[in-house]
Amino acid sequence: MIRAVVLAAVFLSGAALMSLEMAGFRLVQPEFGSDIIVWGSLISVFLGGLAIGAFLGGRLADRRPALWKLGAILALGGVVALSIPLYSDAVLDYMFPGEGAPLPEEWNDGGAGTGDGQLVVYMPPDLRWPTLGVGLLLFLVPAVLLGMVTPYAAKLLIHALGHLGSGVGKISGLSTVGAIVGTLGTTFYLITWMGTRWLLAANGLVLVGLGLALALAHLATPRE
Amino acid sequence: MRVRIILGMAALAAGVAVLAVVPSASSDDTVVRYDRESRYYRIQVVDYPAQGRRCLHFSKSRGIQSSMILADPVRLDLKYSQAMIAALALHPDPREVLLIGLGGASIPKFLQKYYPELKLDIVELDPDVVRVCQDYFEFRGNAKTRVFVMDGRMYLKRAQKQYDVILLDAYAADHMPFHLTTVEFIQLVKSHLKPGGVAASNLWEKAINRFYLAELKTFQATFPQVYLLPAAQSGNIIVFGTMAEEPVTRKDWVLRAEERVRGLDIGFDLADLIGREYRFLTDRKIGEAVLTDDKAPVNTLRHEHPKHFEEEGASP
Repeated sequence: MIRAVVLAAVFLSGAALMSLEMAGFRLVQPEFGSDIIVWGSLISVFLGGLAIGAFLGGRLADRRPALWKLGAILALGGVVALSIPLYSDAVLDYMFPGEGAPLPEEWNDGGAGTGDGQLVVYMPPDLRWPTLGVGLLLFLVPAVLLGMVTPYAAKLLIHALGHLGSGVGKISGLSTVGAIVGTLGTTFYLITWMGTRWLLAANGLVLVGLGLALALAHLATPRE
Repeated sequence: MRVRIILGMAALAAGVAVLAVVPSASSDDTVVRYDRESRYYRIQVVDYPAQGRRCLHFSKSRGIQSSMILADPVRLDLKYSQAMIAALALHPDPREVLLIGLGGASIPKFLQKYYPELKLDIVELDPDVVRVCQDYFEFRGNAKTRVFVMDGRMYLKRAQKQYDVILLDAYAADHMPFHLTTVEFIQLVKSHLKPGGVAASNLWEKAINRFYLAELKTFQATFPQVYLLPAAQSGNIIVFGTMAEEPVTRKDWVLRAEERVRGLDIGFDLADLIGREYRFLTDRKIGEAVLTDDKAPVNTLRHEHPKHFEEEGASP
């Protein structure tokens, strides 16, 4: 029973992570375009979050691991996902590329060209750091929280797993399969069906639900 | 054996070197002038000597972005680009024009030649496209032309300038950036139009599909008046939105077009094109949802056939 709940948490948190990432692209593209910089930034933020989460989750798991604590991590991730639409517009506005830089005067007056056939070309603002900033502000925290799940689950199941190598491999593999399901499910079906905001909300609700399920499992487990 | 391998490699290297230097002539008698991966596309410039044409492709298998008649580089060769010019006739007195999506610069070259007093701003995402237009499509600057290299929506968000006519040519057949289709974007376009302004968008569709209807619906949701010119046989459909309270009839638009091109040898019959293809869309019922930033399943809709749509045009 515990095993099943924890493995479900591993699978679904992997799915939610990638679903959030795909939703992230849709959230950012209207303001920042579909440049490859946007992809690079968001993917890096999610990978960074996973790394930090794995590190923190592992440390937390070594201090009196409990099912309810894993539940709390997931529920917190869910709450963050649910709240992203509340502040995403403010974050995008704040980080809007070149917003801090003064608008070139000649942008808004008449023609600034010369008559000699030389083309007047204005080059774009630098997208790199603003895009990375948006990724960090919107998605680092949920990615860290979801990244904590795998090591924590491994610790919880360490006795049920038997051999450590195959056990950890199973958890890691399950998480990645979940990530694939989350990626394909989101891009092939869910974005079209529910739109970005509802998708974020749905992910949040699934994670909060998982957190509650783990808390219930904790209560149902006989104390030692 | 070893000698043969070395010889083979030398021949291969020589072949690669030749390919890299000389425009390659393939069996169907085309000459590739330029073929390079840019940050956004694979840009190809291909000559078709039998037709006397030079075309811009974002990968050759994916349709023509732009076409130029080598003997007459300013002529609008593609039907859709001719239909885009109709926007200038929908406006009573266009002076400032914004073009989003440079393509092969056919529309800018046309406007520079026939309407030299127009102030023309152009927004193009890809700096290599701007360079290719200068190097292969005879695009030059003048005192009235400016080019901004960036995403079209990003430009509109930053610029405060307003225009008489905004031409949207930012879609390619297989590259439909969803953030340039939504009602939020079209409203941003509208907010950069002066009173009486006109927006025109090339929807680049070969057949009626659900995306195309949803985009028409999105124009309806934004502009008081909406018109359509299906550009015959080119797979492009131009939708026009205007700020005018009163609709423009087919006859009015034709008359204005005749006025606009009077005394100019523009190489095609603009008035006739409008007269033949005019569709009035303001009141047309369209059974699709408006596209929004939150929900714009553009690539799904493009592959779905609509349940029902009357092709016949109504007149106001």
